[in-house]
Amino acid sequence: MNLTFFDQFMSPQILGIQLVVMSLLMPSIIFPTQNNRWLTNRFSTLQSWAIHTFTKQLMLPTNKKSRQWSIILTSLMAMLLTTNLLGLLPYTFTPTTQLSMNMGLAIPMWLSTVLMGLRNQPTMSLGHMLPEGTPTPLTPTLIVIETISLFIRPLALGVRLTANLTAGHLLIQLTSTATIALLPTMPTLSLLTMTILLLLTALELAVAMIQAYVFVLLLNLYLQENT
Amino acid sequence: MPQLNPNPWFLILSSAWLIYTLLLQPNIMSYMSMNKPTNKNKITNTNPWTWPWT
Repeated sequence: MNLTFFDQFMSPQILGIQLVVMSLLMPSIIFPTQNNRWLTNRFSTLQSWAIHTFTKQLMLPTNKKSRQWSIILTSLMAMLLTTNLLGLLPYTFTPTTQLSMNMGLAIPMWLSTVLMGLRNQPTMSLGHMLPEGTPTPLTPTLIVIETISLFIRPLALGVRLTANLTAGHLLIQLTSTATIALLPTMPTLSLLTMTILLLLTALELAVAMIQAYVFVLLLNLYLQENT
Repeated sequence: MPQLNPNPWFLILSSAWLIYTLLLQPNIMSYMSMNKPTNKNKITNTNPWTWPWT
């Protein structure tokens, strides 16, 4: 059977063993376990500096009670960033292109922020449904719209990550196919397409990092709203 | 679109969550150090001294 362009997103398996588990294990290999020495090696120092800075920046606007979420959000960011960046290497599989993983991460996290808000401060959480300063006749319509936007959030969170990464990988595959196909007949055009490919790869690098960050940032925002 | 194939959905979801909670979170936790312990148990005897007015 012919290989279609979407076959790169099929979950790979050998003899029934799903290899997606291996690509999911990669982040924990890239972050080696720290020991308690005062001075570690350069790699560990850099990583711990990065993690500390990120956590500080992320949890600055939150209140004291929601600082418990810092480990959740930071490790989530580490996992998404690593899986996205590793997926840009040739012949690798990006598990974050799978809807199952992203929705599975987004829906429980969003739901937990909503439930936390409803449990601890129900009036405030329900009060978010009506922004301040709305004229009175608009109130019913606006409440309906805000409720719909609340329920769209987990879908948007999951699908945003999936779609961005899938589109990027697909574009890279398309332009590389075009470059190879044009090489024997029109080499100059093939060179131009290769330039586009290089620029696209740079864009994908940025997108990989940005999308991981946006996921975590939005979760942080939903957390701040509800605590 | 192969992402919509429901066959490996549960496996990907469950393995992602298990690896996230059981491997990554303890890993990142080892990077976040708690407050450094302060040594407040020692009582230092300070010998009082006077200015030598000369």
